[in-house]
Amino acid sequence: MTSDRSPQPSAAGQQRAEDPGISMAAAGGDQERMVAGRLRDTIASQFGRSLHIRTLDTGSCAVCEQEIRLLAAPHYDLHRLGFFFTPAPRHADLLMVTGPAIRAFDVAARKAYDAIPGPKIVIATGACALGGVYPADAFTHSAVDAIFPVDVWVPGCPPSPLALLQGLLVAVNRLAEKSAAMSFIADDPAEGVPG
Amino acid sequence: MSALTWCYVAAAGWALAAALALLGGRLAGLRACCLVSALAGAAAVAGGVSSLLWGNSRIASLGGAVVVGTAQLQATSLAGVFIALLGLIAVALALYAPRYHRASPGSALYLAVCNLAMLAALAVFTAGNVVTFLVAWESVALLCYLLILRHPRRTEVASGAFWFLALSETGFVFIVAAFVILATKAHSMQFAVIAAHAHLVTPGWRDAAFLLALTGFGFKAGLVPLHVWLPEAHPVAPADGSAFLSGLVVKLGAYGIVLFAFRLLPPAPAWVGVLTMAAGAVTAALGILYALNERDLKRFLAFSTIENTGIIVVSFGAAMVFGAYGQRELWAFLLLAGLYHVANHGTYKTLLFLEAGVVERTTGTRDMDRLGGLIHRLPRSTVITLAGTLGIAALPPLNGFVSEWLIFQGLFQGFRTGSHLVGILIVLAAATLGLTGGLAIYAFVRGFGIPFLGMPRTRQAASATEHGQPVAGPGLLAAACVALAVGAPLVLLALSRAVRTVTGVPLRPVLLPGNLTVIPAHTAFSAFSPTYLAVFLVAVMVVPLLIYLAGRPRADSVTVPVWDGGMVAFKPRMQYSAMTFSAPTRVTFDAVYRPRVSLRRASDDPAGRSGPVHYETEVTPLFQRYLYRPVIRAVEWVADAVQPLQSGDVNLYLFYVFVVILLAYLLGAL
Amino acid sequence: MPLWFLRGLRRGVVTTHYPARPDPSAAGLPTPPAFSPLHLDRRIADHLCGICPSRALRREDDMLIFDVGCCTACGRCRDAAPEAVTVSGEFELAATGRASLVKHIPLFREAQA
Repeated sequence: MTSDRSPQPSAAGQQRAEDPGISMAAAGGDQERMVAGRLRDTIASQFGRSLHIRTLDTGSCAVCEQEIRLLAAPHYDLHRLGFFFTPAPRHADLLMVTGPAIRAFDVAARKAYDAIPGPKIVIATGACALGGVYPADAFTHSAVDAIFPVDVWVPGCPPSPLALLQGLLVAVNRLAEKSAAMSFIADDPAEGVPG
Repeated sequence: MSALTWCYVAAAGWALAAALALLGGRLAGLRACCLVSALAGAAAVAGGVSSLLWGNSRIASLGGAVVVGTAQLQATSLAGVFIALLGLIAVALALYAPRYHRASPGSALYLAVCNLAMLAALAVFTAGNVVTFLVAWESVALLCYLLILRHPRRTEVASGAFWFLALSETGFVFIVAAFVILATKAHSMQFAVIAAHAHLVTPGWRDAAFLLALTGFGFKAGLVPLHVWLPEAHPVAPADGSAFLSGLVVKLGAYGIVLFAFRLLPPAPAWVGVLTMAAGAVTAALGILYALNERDLKRFLAFSTIENTGIIVVSFGAAMVFGAYGQRELWAFLLLAGLYHVANHGTYKTLLFLEAGVVERTTGTRDMDRLGGLIHRLPRSTVITLAGTLGIAALPPLNGFVSEWLIFQGLFQGFRTGSHLVGILIVLAAATLGLTGGLAIYAFVRGFGIPFLGMPRTRQAASATEHGQPVAGPGLLAAACVALAVGAPLVLLALSRAVRTVTGVPLRPVLLPGNLTVIPAHTAFSAFSPTYLAVFLVAVMVVPLLIYLAGRPRADSVTVPVWDGGMVAFKPRMQYSAMTFSAPTRVTFDAVYRPRVSLRRASDDPAGRSGPVHYETEVTPLFQRYLYRPVIRAVEWVADAVQPLQSGDVNLYLFYVFVVILLAYLLGAL
Repeated sequence: MPLWFLRGLRRGVVTTHYPARPDPSAAGLPTPPAFSPLHLDRRIADHLCGICPSRALRREDDMLIFDVGCCTACGRCRDAAPEAVTVSGEFELAATGRASLVKHIPLFREAQA
């Protein structure tokens, strides 16, 4: 909840060098990420308390969608944090993408992304969207940053609504990012990762 | 020059124009005819306006034939609006005709008939006695029949023209009956004398005369269920013929109702006014409901004319109700509002029909579902049509809004009648008008959006071009729409003078010239300024735009395609069609429409692989099926029953002659 | 008054206070594994890389590369080597850079030897 972290401009993007389907996202990846960092600060200051989210399913199994839908339920209630779902990309500030970016969906996904007026944030949620589960082949790009630049990655299969909330709050600079400091090394008391 | 003199000039002009069309060469005759016709129209406008401003003209008597008596002409204030409208329409049609009609003998004859029809309509409006009126009325009917029959070999044209003539003649019978009652009671054919002696007519005859007149003129005006000729005749007539029919000929019916209600007869009892108002309300609602179901542009506009006739008749009916309860200001005010709506509707409906003609000429079709995207192909026509559409949908700041607002303001004061029942009925009429207003906006969003916006649905729509299409005529009418709205104070000034001549009620609080505000009848009720509204609406649109343009951030903007749901290829067939756009009304109002759906599929495969599916939906034509067809069948039955009298045997006919002569002697002896 | 309204009033507020306070339901969530370098060697690492259905594990020389982003928390690696793999319990995994989700775990036994 405190913004005591400095935004990390990512290093030259973890591109899958072997992925044949790289598109414009890779070419401008570096620059876009740094710009995205600045934009996120802008967005956080202007939209941090009222953000409209447009979900985009690029071919998922829809379990991520179920978790996203739970966000609006009384237990998690994303509205109390100032987030709203909107079906119209023109009204959206943030694009929440799930699914392994199947190639048949390229045009529609790009159109949805283009239809969102800037400044905009893209969150990739779920293992599929991050490049897991399905390898890049003739049917999928695997990671969604092959289609458009991604600002925040939320792992999980599916990511629980709490993880999604954390991802959203990180996206608008209201929570500090924690995963960079995690080492996932079990018997390492110095790092504080629970065993 | 007095109003009547202007009318003479106009009449002479139209007669000359008709002669020029017939006798002149092909192209030169056409052009000369249109030029003279336009000048005559201008003269008619002058005549109408001067009779509005300076009151009734003198009564002129012409001729003196023994059998029918003299013809009497008078340009009254009441007819002033109608005459001015006739002139404006004539000018617009004259500007439209050269580019619309090819120079051919058929066109020459058509234009001659058109000008003679205008002459006859002028005669109806300036008629001063019963015979002149009836002769002129019949001339208009016959000439309009010829007008519709421009292409007589096509079956649908012949059928449409026949519907017009048949209903026109039926109405004529009722009109004659009404006039005969009044003329007999007053022992004179002259309108002035009839009006003076009206108070002597017993209430039974008086109301009977009015109801007969309402029915007879209702046939021409298009009151439900007497409206059936409108959707049949309008699509098959040429565009300027349809424009003339809807813009003016329908107003002849309105003029007749106004003549009887406000000039020839004393204030009627409340129930007569309520009946008129109810007829108007039902007409308005049903008119727009059926309009929503039409794909043919001209049929759609014809039903919209029926709706507007309903609005006009509601206004006159409510005026009669207020008159019956002694509310003289509201009596005069609703007459004024109705006349204003007459002028407005004449203007924008003529415009819309002329533009429908342009669309039909450039794309070859009137079917909305075959059009689309015409805004890119016909930009000027689109702008002009938009002006007409905003007018007819009664959206501020155009003229339709002003006149409908005035009518509503009059109706909202129904509580002043003092009678609870009548007050509720007036409120119901206002509610019905509200419903029709909402449905009219819906209908004209559809009527403008489907053909003009979006993507072209067929190749013809994609290849339409504006080159060589008439623009001046409709453009003049669009300018008139704007003028009637922005110049509303002036129009109301002129109309209030006319209304004072007719009703004797001053209506001075109508207008405060200082701040161009309009106050309907009673100062404490409401007020608004059409002029300021127009200026304000334009400012509200323009000023923020200017602020944005001046102060917008210098950031680069990105142009992306319209969001279409992410479709890979958006095809024109994926757009709304006219019938799907109006589908919600078919569900909501299915008691009125009684739609019949027929669905045929080759097999019942639930996955839909069975082959083509045939889906047909039809709205039941209630009036044709349940009113006209039985009447027609009854007439045919009677004709069949009487058939044996015409055996063809000469001896039988001689026997008939003998019997009749015998009867004549017997009756003479008694 | 509809019954669900009365039931809801009786139940009270069920909304979580996350992020102001931790949410108790987070305790039962499936989470990515944590690896213990002490129990990892090349053979175990290769076996784990083979059974991961989501290609989250990769061995490079003496380093086990674990891509948290690809992990589906299926638990197969933990079932295969329970002494080397435990549940991490971390679910707040959002990252602004994809690279920061790729974790390097040294294979201790090999490093030792």
